Amino acid sequence: MIAKSKKKKWTNYAIWFILPAFIVYTAFVIVPTLSSVYLSFTAWNGVSEKIPYIGLDNFVEIFKSPRVHNALKNTLILAVSLVLLENIVALGLAILVDQVRWFRNLFRSIFYFPVLMSGIIMGFIWMIILNYNFGVLNQLLEMTGLGFLKTDWLGNPDFALISIILSTVWKAAGYYMVIYLAGLQGIPQELNEAASIDGANRLQQFRHITFPLLAGATTVCVMLSMIGSLKVFDQIAVMTDGGPGFATETLTYIIYKVGFGELRQGFGTALALVLFILTLVISLVQIKVLRKREVQM
Amino acid sequence: MKKEVKPIDVITFVITLLIAVVFAFPIYFNIMSAFKSNAEIMKDAISFPKELYLESFKYLLTETKYPEAMLNSTILTVSSIAVMVLVIPMAAYAIERTNSKWTNAAFTYFLFGMMIPFQVYMIPLFKQLKMIGLFGTLTGPVLLYISGSIGFGVLLYTSFLKGIPREIEESAEIDGCSRTGIFWKIVFPLLGPVTASMVVLQGLGIWNDFLMPMMVLPAGQAKTMIVELFYYVGEFSSRWDMIFAGTTMSLIPVLIAFLSLQKYFVKGVSSGAIKG
Repeated sequence: MIAKSKKKKWTNYAIWFILPAFIVYTAFVIVPTLSSVYLSFTAWNGVSEKIPYIGLDNFVEIFKSPRVHNALKNTLILAVSLVLLENIVALGLAILVDQVRWFRNLFRSIFYFPVLMSGIIMGFIWMIILNYNFGVLNQLLEMTGLGFLKTDWLGNPDFALISIILSTVWKAAGYYMVIYLAGLQGIPQELNEAASIDGANRLQQFRHITFPLLAGATTVCVMLSMIGSLKVFDQIAVMTDGGPGFATETLTYIIYKVGFGELRQGFGTALALVLFILTLVISLVQIKVLRKREVQM
Repeated sequence: MKKEVKPIDVITFVITLLIAVVFAFPIYFNIMSAFKSNAEIMKDAISFPKELYLESFKYLLTETKYPEAMLNSTILTVSSIAVMVLVIPMAAYAIERTNSKWTNAAFTYFLFGMMIPFQVYMIPLFKQLKMIGLFGTLTGPVLLYISGSIGFGVLLYTSFLKGIPREIEESAEIDGCSRTGIFWKIVFPLLGPVTASMVVLQGLGIWNDFLMPMMVLPAGQAKTMIVELFYYVGEFSSRWDMIFAGTTMSLIPVLIAFLSLQKYFVKGVSSGAIKG
């Protein structure tokens, strides 16, 4: 009996401790998410009182619209190239910072600092660097005799998405570098020393010792960079506004454009649900993979 | 103990240095350009400024809404963080220590929020804010920042709480201390490192946030620094000097925070990452 009443007291306090978080979270995350589900079956314009119900029409349009297909294609290109490039660059930086003998902390800070910048500021700086007439990149190309490579990096549909990808790699790589670096520093040095005595060169050591032991860090970084790639928004807003044409319009960006630029909020929420399902699938896979790793450990 | 310098060390150093120059260039370019006139930026982007040109800062601080925007950014960041630190650790503590069916359900419910990107619910959110009269106020964004950080925050705190033994709390309970007292006097101070990580990571996110404050804060008035900068890029598209001055002012607090709290930034990244 005593134990039971004691337990009840614990639960009582727990309710009051959890309640504030519960209310704010329910009111400003869960309720609007459920409203999104409802609105995706309507042709609401975001302003009028009337919310016309149109069933599955929005989803039919998603399947048919070339603009949406283009945005999905861009999102996929962005995701694949960001996951690959960010992780390769981050791993490279981590190895360099781990191996370098002088100014290690300074180098780490320099590679990490872009992570701290807002996407708006970073987008603005790169917009100026990539400017056709006055940009540093084109000036450098001219000076080094590579003037024939000059192009309007953000105005040319063939290069706009590549420019967004490369500048995003610059911004994000430092984040994953920190995770890889923690992984590298967890590898006992004796392993590499023993391999080196057995005659393995540095490349072989990396392939057969370092890289397999970094599996944990790699899993985490790949998952995080995949989710991160779906969230790229600010730099697109500053650098290209989805253009030229629709060349840099991604799923996140088209939701914003359709919902607020073109006042088709019903259609915007339907697209938002597609984003939600995509994120959910990636997150569930992530949880599964991480759980499996925990069991193995 | 000093090892001799091998050629490989020098090669590694030179490679790292070259890459560091490429990485640091955009930031160098930004800060240098803030002290140049527009003509100088366009003519010679790479060199040091010939003289310290401060007109763009003066213009921003006297002729635009930038000072109000700075104040708004500060208010939003500080008050959101303050409420987060009040609300999130309490919820995480109750969840971790009670371990009943209901608190476990609450935990899953909160974690679910981590999988919902802001763009998924932003469209109905604005109507909802208008309905309850929070659209165009500073309270609106504060509430949204708190609600958006609960999933991540609860996860961070519960995993840290697992490592704190309960014995101290139990003996305090026997001494007749209340739950609230135990939490704030005994447990909360022990959560210092995780609170520091959350403050720097969330603070940075709020300071740098763009989309939500742009949509929610009242039109025609100063919004936040980042939002104002975004407008300046469109409005003063030929006045690069001024925009660079603005970005520099926004970066200075970030730089100071990073240099003084570096270990919490790094710790926050690795602890957040390991738990996903």
